[in-house]
Amino acid sequence: MKVQRNDFPVLEKNPSLVYLDSACTSLKPKAVIEAEMSYYTELGACAGRSSHRLGIKTNQKVEEAREKVAGFVGAKAEELVWTRNTTEGLNIIANSFDFSKRKKVVTSVMEHHSVLLPFMRLRDNGKITLEVVNCDESGTIGTNRWAEKIDRDTALVVTHSWNNTAGTGNDTRQLAKLAHDNGALICIDGAQGVPHRRTDFRRDSLDFLCFSGHKMLGPTGIGALVAKKEHLNKLDPLLTGGGTVKTVSLEKIEPVADQTRFEAGVQHYSGMIGFGAACDYLKKLGMENVEAHEKELAKALLEQLNAAGAIVYGPKTDNHEALYSFNFRNAKPHDVALMLDKQDMAVRSGFFCAQPALEALGAKDGAVRASGYIYNTVEDVKKFGDTLQKLKELYG
Amino acid sequence: MVLCIIAFAVFSVMSIFSAKYRPLAKEGFRCVFRSLTLKPCDTGLDERIKSEVVSKMLKYSPGAARSVNRHFVAISWFFVLLTLASFAYSAYGIYNFYYYGNCDGPTSTGACILNDITGDYGRFSEPTDLIPPTNLEGITEGNPNASIKIIEFGCFTCPYTKKAESTMEQLLAEYNDSIYYVFKPFPLPNHPHSYEAARAVLCANKQGKHWELQEEIFKQQDVCTADGSLAIKSLAETAGLNMTEFNHCYDNNETGAELATYIQQGKDAHIYATPTFFVNGKPVVGPKSLDEFKRIIEEEGG
Repeated sequence: MKVQRNDFPVLEKNPSLVYLDSACTSLKPKAVIEAEMSYYTELGACAGRSSHRLGIKTNQKVEEAREKVAGFVGAKAEELVWTRNTTEGLNIIANSFDFSKRKKVVTSVMEHHSVLLPFMRLRDNGKITLEVVNCDESGTIGTNRWAEKIDRDTALVVTHSWNNTAGTGNDTRQLAKLAHDNGALICIDGAQGVPHRRTDFRRDSLDFLCFSGHKMLGPTGIGALVAKKEHLNKLDPLLTGGGTVKTVSLEKIEPVADQTRFEAGVQHYSGMIGFGAACDYLKKLGMENVEAHEKELAKALLEQLNAAGAIVYGPKTDNHEALYSFNFRNAKPHDVALMLDKQDMAVRSGFFCAQPALEALGAKDGAVRASGYIYNTVEDVKKFGDTLQKLKELYG
Repeated sequence: MVLCIIAFAVFSVMSIFSAKYRPLAKEGFRCVFRSLTLKPCDTGLDERIKSEVVSKMLKYSPGAARSVNRHFVAISWFFVLLTLASFAYSAYGIYNFYYYGNCDGPTSTGACILNDITGDYGRFSEPTDLIPPTNLEGITEGNPNASIKIIEFGCFTCPYTKKAESTMEQLLAEYNDSIYYVFKPFPLPNHPHSYEAARAVLCANKQGKHWELQEEIFKQQDVCTADGSLAIKSLAETAGLNMTEFNHCYDNNETGAELATYIQQGKDAHIYATPTFFVNGKPVVGPKSLDEFKRIIEEEGG
């Protein structure tokens, strides 16, 4: 897989930068930036409302983008709702899913706060019961642990495909089967999975899938909730307003029948078009190639971290994203991140919005996270390793 | 937190001169304030400063960087105490300057940075650098045969020369026959119209009326530095000078050569501040009190 560094303006402008914070947000290629900008320079109108040619063209572009993004995860356009991000998608599910018959939701300790918090709030309000699956000492959650918690009382299983702390994933196809065998539905947080692995909504028999554009080369402020049509029809939108209704009288509202009833108000059209371009970019690279490249980066990252004597959290498997959380024994994570920044290495420090997960992995005071993507090379990782050696001397 | 105390102090001062330091000063203040109210500092300013320092050191000396990293809090406390001591010492200097005209205290003959300085400042900055002049030419007063000879290098538009003026007048009144006083004009380039004022007083000296004019100039120093020759001529008239003679002398720069001689003598003496006195060759820098001059004169057997 060949990605040109100068295809990414941020890397082009910062030749010595090694960007290893892609799990937080990815850098954007020129193609995406130009696609997003094209809305403002060529269209600038409302979609689905105005009958003038710019309005019609905008609508066409937005619907093309919907098809591209839905197609990227093996779904149909009519199954995709535009959201601001993964968090919004998960909140829609948490707040409009029907928990009247079954109240039990099963999730895991390894989740992002965006998964945990909406359902913890429902639990605290007495609307659901929440079961949390723990990981073992290595940070692994085997299917058997899930099987212990998922039963006939379960309404919904909510978990990640790949997580943002250990860089490992769930077998979503198996989990979906487990949920369905018990009459439950499954909602997948794909924020960390969709950008890095081929995701197939239909093949894996998922019910809900939420993901964000900005973690997969797309613009910020745009994401998607993909849901099987029969489930989508049963959900109530969080917001209502312009664009969500067929007719309105002061006595009665008749909502639109399709998924646009979730898209109240004028939308982030430029983001949608940019998101579509990001999917095109990744599709052109081939997600199998992205996966292979990341596995190579992951291997190199682990070697460098081990050579520097860092404490590396989570399982060390061959099937690993190019993402590792680590610490140095005598240093605070934030200090390490600042020191790396001084050497032109961008990493994240803290709890990565997944405090229970990091604590479960043994990083009670947080950790440093290095996460690579398609624009990183093994040379980048070696450079990172050289800097880690200096830090080893500093903190050793 | 410790480092934020220094950061707050340093960035506050720097932010007076450049707006880019103001957010850092605010961060420092927030950190200090939170610490004083027993809340954890949440700005991360100290961590950023630490990483800045340690990362730079890491490039050159990993061992030193490791040591600084480990003992950063102790080092920070050292600098905090140093900063506080520096503030205290500065406050003491300002107090001395306000009351005694010299930031080093009433008995010091050393130069004070707050006094006006010549372009030679930096090259010469200590009384030990000064070389007493032997030439007694200049604007003179008192008994030429007196055993105490006081030479002053002064600038008519310098506020400290002005401050010393009354002391000299009192001294001459008290020791008239026992001292010989020589004033050598030494105009400083950082005072506007100092050359013009010096030339004018030398012109007045030709008419035997230098005291009258220099008194007027000192009284109207602000006007003189603002308006230059216009003000000087007006003051010459007020001082009762023969204006025809004065204008001829002043406009034709008749005293320019004489002034150049005094300036050269001042440079040869390594004058770095005005007023500078030599009491029988012993240097005294800055406007000292009458008592201080009396003490020096007594020491010289006057």
